[in-house]
Amino acid sequence: MTGQWNYELCNKIQLLCNDNGFICVNITAHSTSDLYGHLNLLLCDDDLDDCSFFKEALKALPRSTNLTAVHDGEQLMNLVTGEAYQLHDVLFLDLNMHRKNGFECLLELKLNEKLKRLPVIILSTSLDREVVNLLYKNGAHYFIRKPSEFSQIKIIIEHALTLITQKNISQPDIEDFVLS
Amino acid sequence: MPQEKKSNLEIIATREINFQNEEKDKRAAELVIANKELIYQNEEKGKRAAELIIANLELVFQNEEKGKRAAELIVANKELAFQNEEKEKRAAELISANKELLAFTYVSSHDLQEPLRKIQTFVTIILENENQNLSENGKHNFRRIQSAAGRMQQLIEDLLAFSRISTTEHVFEKINLNSIIEEVKTELREVIEEKNAIIEVSEICQARIIVFQFHQLMCNLISNALKFSRPGLAPHIIIKSNIVKGDKSKDDMLIEEKEYCHISVQDNGIGFEPHFSKRIFEVFQRLHGKEEYAGTGIGLAIVKKIVENHRGIIRASSKLMHGAIFDIYIPAD
Repeated sequence: MTGQWNYELCNKIQLLCNDNGFICVNITAHSTSDLYGHLNLLLCDDDLDDCSFFKEALKALPRSTNLTAVHDGEQLMNLVTGEAYQLHDVLFLDLNMHRKNGFECLLELKLNEKLKRLPVIILSTSLDREVVNLLYKNGAHYFIRKPSEFSQIKIIIEHALTLITQKNISQPDIEDFVLS
Repeated sequence: MPQEKKSNLEIIATREINFQNEEKDKRAAELVIANKELIYQNEEKGKRAAELIIANLELVFQNEEKGKRAAELIVANKELAFQNEEKEKRAAELISANKELLAFTYVSSHDLQEPLRKIQTFVTIILENENQNLSENGKHNFRRIQSAAGRMQQLIEDLLAFSRISTTEHVFEKINLNSIIEEVKTELREVIEEKNAIIEVSEICQARIIVFQFHQLMCNLISNALKFSRPGLAPHIIIKSNIVKGDKSKDDMLIEEKEYCHISVQDNGIGFEPHFSKRIFEVFQRLHGKEEYAGTGIGLAIVKKIVENHRGIIRASSKLMHGAIFDIYIPAD
């Protein structure tokens, strides 16, 4: 067998034995990306340097990922509200964007029946307790304060992706909301 | 008529006439006296009248002067009212300018952080990716960039902290200062352990303070005491506080007989020359080069601002190599 088996990604593993003695392993997963450990990431950040850091960091991680990057809130909403839009596994959403900021996008996403299931991880340059609490209240999954060291950027994105694949849908406790 | 009767009548008549004449003389004499008296009275009246005329002239003059003074007062009052309006305008302008400055400090500190972060990140990327391609000198130079960027980050964070101290809401709570000191000791426990420092807290009183600001104040004072310890001598910090009555002989800014909470923080560190005792509270004023001691020189400026927010005063006294003592007086009400 080739490839990595990530059992923690799966919901159910059934071992079935048929009459002829063949053993069949039945694996149920949430999506094909879960099954293969592949993640479809959506990034919305108007800062091109930060987008570049994110892409570089992803390249260095031992994961199979697909990244779509958009550069402003309106572009984001246009993309996700398209009829044919298939939910990504996670959205990394920058907070401070001109025109439509991350907070407005978060609100709109969580009001949408289909889109509210998309886990949102907020990216920001500063850490303000009140802002953090407000974001948590409005349904964001995690909060990341953008690190200034590249090695830290890699670590924190890996951490976020691990958490996302483990706790797929539900929001974590407030103590775990801010990643570091 | 008999002769006797006629002469009797003549005698009576003569006597009567004499008597009348005497009476007339008396009356005349009285009249003369009365007239003299009258003349005298008239003279006196004349004098009084003359005096009254002078007095009246004086009064008229005084009234004119009073009128002039009243007119001058009206002008002066108008001037004063105008000056007061101007002063109020200036005061309002100052408040507005101050608010703008603080907002500017906050925003620019915030906006300065972004390009700084990029510099730091790109340097780490270069050091990582170009490790093979860089000479030792090149790597060294990039590390110097990181060091400078780190100092700049600290400066910006300190500026932000400083501006926040002035702009956030002031909520006063009556609290035992000991709890704040214990929190600070916990936060700084690594440095305290590393330096084998002893922090002695005695006679701590309650006071009405802004909790998070006082926390910052204690943190800054204690971490300074730890930082500026004498090489080879474990830091010994003594913190005391009690209620005292204002005494101008202790400090002329104190109001006599007013109740203050006097807090003192004393250390046995390197101290400073007495003539710097005011300068150390100024923003970004340092007494040492950045290679000797880390820090941006804003710690004590923040402490002073916090004390001022509490309508108190702070004094520092020291002798070089003989430690320093910081005395804070905060109104006890």
